[in-house]
Amino acid sequence: MDKIKKFFLPKPIVLSNGKVVQPAMSPMVYVIPILLVLFFYSTSLTGFKIDTLITRGSRFFDILVKMFPPNFGYFTKVWTPMVVTLVMSIVGTLAGALFSIPAAYLSSENMVKSPVIKFIVRSIMSILRTIPLLVLVILFLNMFGAGAFTGMVSLGVFTFTIMTKMFYELIETCDMGPFEAIESSGASRVKAFWTGIMPQLWGQYISILLYNFEMNIRNAAILGYVGAGGIGIESLSRHIRKRLL
Amino acid sequence: MIKFEGVAKTYPNGVQALKGVDLSIEQGEFVCIIGLSGAGKSTLLRSINQMHQITGGKLTVDGVDVSTLKGKDLRRFRRNIGMVFQSFNLVKRTTVIKNVLAARVADMPLWKSLLGLYAKQDKIIALEALDQVGILEKAYSRADQLSGGQQQRVALARTVAQQPKIILADEPVASLDPVTSQQVMNDFVKINKALNITVIANMHHVDIALKYANRIIGVKEGKIVFDGPSLQVTNNILKEIYGRELSDDELMGA
Amino acid sequence: MSTKITVIEQLKKEPKNLQLKALLFFGLIGIGFLAVNYINYNGFTEFGLTVMWNISRSIFTPNTALLFGQGKNGVLFLITETAAIAFLGTIIGTIVSIPIAFLSSRNIVPGWMANIGVAFITVVRTFPAVVYGLMFIRVTGPGAFTGVLTLAVASIGMISKLFIEVIEDLDPGIIEALDAAGCNAIQKVQYGIVPQLMGNFASIAIYRFEINVKYATILGMVGAGGIGAPLIFAITAYRWADTGALLIGLIIFVLAVEYGSAKIRKKLATGE
Repeated sequence: MDKIKKFFLPKPIVLSNGKVVQPAMSPMVYVIPILLVLFFYSTSLTGFKIDTLITRGSRFFDILVKMFPPNFGYFTKVWTPMVVTLVMSIVGTLAGALFSIPAAYLSSENMVKSPVIKFIVRSIMSILRTIPLLVLVILFLNMFGAGAFTGMVSLGVFTFTIMTKMFYELIETCDMGPFEAIESSGASRVKAFWTGIMPQLWGQYISILLYNFEMNIRNAAILGYVGAGGIGIESLSRHIRKRLL
Repeated sequence: MIKFEGVAKTYPNGVQALKGVDLSIEQGEFVCIIGLSGAGKSTLLRSINQMHQITGGKLTVDGVDVSTLKGKDLRRFRRNIGMVFQSFNLVKRTTVIKNVLAARVADMPLWKSLLGLYAKQDKIIALEALDQVGILEKAYSRADQLSGGQQQRVALARTVAQQPKIILADEPVASLDPVTSQQVMNDFVKINKALNITVIANMHHVDIALKYANRIIGVKEGKIVFDGPSLQVTNNILKEIYGRELSDDELMGA
Repeated sequence: MSTKITVIEQLKKEPKNLQLKALLFFGLIGIGFLAVNYINYNGFTEFGLTVMWNISRSIFTPNTALLFGQGKNGVLFLITETAAIAFLGTIIGTIVSIPIAFLSSRNIVPGWMANIGVAFITVVRTFPAVVYGLMFIRVTGPGAFTGVLTLAVASIGMISKLFIEVIEDLDPGIIEALDAAGCNAIQKVQYGIVPQLMGNFASIAIYRFEINVKYATILGMVGAGGIGAPLIFAITAYRWADTGALLIGLIIFVLAVEYGSAKIRKKLATGE
């Protein structure tokens, strides 16, 4: 074992005054082999074949090629679903973003004193966050039927879970000074949070909101496949469902 | 009147910050607390508004036993006590006036504070507080555009806008340069005199404390070792508080 | 401070932000109007509550044979497959992103070239992952391989965009210092650039891995392997015990990845 260690350790450096410095072992010594093992294991598990990619790679562009020239007559039919996608994403994102503020407050180490409340809220949020968007969609399809409303609710809940986590991480790293000052003036913790913490975070809040909005526009395309409204091209959706089910 | 009777404070980690403090402070006094770092100055100050819970003895403010206060009663009690901090504790990204208005949210209904709907009366109170510390014209600047001294004045204005009976100042000038320190201390004196507000300040710089306070309290290892008018403070007393002779440059905060 | 202003004068000077308020007001009204017109509420079906109740209950009453199953249908295999898809997708995406990012950074190449690169990345980013999935199915047929390629391409947009930010933030002072010390180009890259970039690049890749793990569960829908498809089939077929087993596996797996990712990225950022 010692021999192996010695082999990997960089050569000691001898200084002019006779002192010997042993440079630390680079983490690459174990990171690279681990990555390589994982890489080869994953390629065999997923059936990754580079020659398939080379021989059949051109078929990737099949759809793209068929897209030209585009049928502009169809554009009028796409217009409404596109607006629906946009509206659904905007309303869903805004609603999720709104509810994420109180949820983030209740999940923050520095805001909630009671460890019980924090634990309960965080556990529920963690489990909700792991549920894939598609499972949420299927759930809400059963409640509200096919249509844009289901899409909006799904995106709203999905945004809510993600933004809550992103936002409470921001709350936990912000300057507690103003909060302390306002609390010392006799304001409740909620008011101290709103006047002392939120003004520090509005900029970052808007930026994570836009990030989620961008993501949701792309997610909205997924929703269409399962009949949750928007630009999800109905016929394609039926085709895929038939193949899968 | 603030009255300490055998007040003790032991932190959960076992550190005894206060060991039986007896003290009474009348309305309108200007008191400075001096002592080494870790002597218990900050704990003494923060026990008055229950930012730190005391663990023994009795502490009353105007006859109210503060350690029994909880929730709503505690918050109502704190409205009469302002606090100023060494690091100003302003929201730097927002305007001066909004920082001062933050002192008014304690009295507002929750929905109004959430929407930021401040009454005209509150805005006038905030502007008058800024006028008292002489930075009225900065009301709509962002707090981070101001110098350190100006920021501490905004913090002082925030406390004044709270219309308190007592102001607690935790090392208010420790992060300011000597000249600015003098200006800020003058503001404290002005407010103390004009509004008859009790000022209790922790002080790092002995000479500033002696110059501005009427009364000095020396704290050492959680106990009060001196309590008297600032004129009576001698080198021997300082030696007892600090455990050694202070050199000239340690005295020279300003 | 030649003229002293009074409190009342200053009160009148309060900025009203009328434009911002009007924008917010009309923006919200506009969105509300669009929402009412384009999103119709078709009523609420009680059956949905039953489904929700059954899913919640299923977590506590899972099909243990599936949960601990060893074969190709077992949860452990499905999770491993999902992890492998996400891992390979991230690795390939990262490797492809490195040259793209360097060729699109303003401090490395001339401005016009960087513009072309950024435009290319924007186009790649525009398409949702599912669209790439459908395109790759024609190349490789349904299966995990498709998932890998889809995630690789879908990752390129975000990874190279973030890489560019890191590269453009490079401290030129270090290169200058090495120049002054007489280093050649390779030495400059080795001692001046790589150490600055490695930590940030790794951090970005790990973050994307976390996202890819979540995407890998969705891509099952287009037949791209992983735990997503079996989960959705189980729910749509009302096989609650199976749903429970798959959800338990998924929840533990995703939380573990999130936890590990946060730990490693913190270590990369702070050295501890």
